[in-house]
Amino acid sequence: MEPIELRARARRAYERGRVRLAGKAAGAALLIAALAAALGRPPFLTAALGAALAVAAAALVFRGRASGRAVWTGLCAGSGAMLLPLGLATAGCRMFGDACMRFCLPACVAGGLAMGFALATVARRQEQGEGEFLAGGAAVAALTASLGCTLAGAGGILAMALGTVLAGAPVWLAARAQR
Amino acid sequence: MDPGARAALQRGMCRLADGDREAFAPVFAALWPVLRAFSARALPVAAEAEDAAQSALLKVFARAAEFDPRREALPWALGIAAYECRTLRKARARRREDATRASPEPVDARTPEDSAIERDLQAVAAEVLGGLRALDAETLLAAARGERDPSATFRKRLERAVARFREEWRARHGAD
Repeated sequence: MEPIELRARARRAYERGRVRLAGKAAGAALLIAALAAALGRPPFLTAALGAALAVAAAALVFRGRASGRAVWTGLCAGSGAMLLPLGLATAGCRMFGDACMRFCLPACVAGGLAMGFALATVARRQEQGEGEFLAGGAAVAALTASLGCTLAGAGGILAMALGTVLAGAPVWLAARAQR
Repeated sequence: MDPGARAALQRGMCRLADGDREAFAPVFAALWPVLRAFSARALPVAAEAEDAAQSALLKVFARAAEFDPRREALPWALGIAAYECRTLRKARARRREDATRASPEPVDARTPEDSAIERDLQAVAAEVLGGLRALDAETLLAAARGERDPSATFRKRLERAVARFREEWRARHGAD
């Protein structure tokens, strides 16, 4: 094999490796969406959000760099924020009745707060591309959390976003001030 | 590989694992000669060593996206190359076993050197035979083929033909 051909094949092998890695992230995103559907979220909305999440996660992981590294953190943080209102709606309503639904919005805010804090804490540890990490992680986490927060409608998503900014911004700004 | 080049390879692999495509060219340039030299030492046949090195290089790049930056890049890449060399060696041994099983008749135990000597002797004998009279050459060839006439005439003719062959050989090559 000629060196130029070998180099081209090595490059293709590397890109295939990245596609494989992206496939794993997309698979994880689809699993989370399946979990949301299993916990009672409407199939059409969940499928649409799940597909968007899978595409975003795969694209970011394939591209790599800081936003690629942020995907798994975003998926984990977003899953926590997604499960909080969903857990409340399924287990809580079984125990306390429909009245517990009024806690859905606060649950979305709490999930957003935890998610924002977790993302900003991991982002500040990055040696380079902290901003990119935070942006990529926040996008993936927001999409993941939306799978659960749509339970409280558009207000739920807004509440989750507000919580993320409220908890994440101080940590992030403090980290920037220290540098 | 000197410590500086080793550290540069480590940095390059970490950048590749992170998705930095610009690190591809320097990592390729650093790894290819190392893997080639390693395979050449591990495998005696040059073509097999080249195959193993190429295969190892492709596997290194296929797994580069999952490279753990806490690991040392050079031993990791050499580990993949060692595995490829071992796989090729095993495949060769398996092919040899299959070939032995497929041909149960006795294998020619002569070395290539023996075969070459025999070919040279046959060529020289044919040359000497060509210098003899046609009747002598025909008698010697008939005897060699085992078509010996039991008559005394044939025996006498064969003795004379062998004597002339010896003379001709001695004249051309100076020894029996």
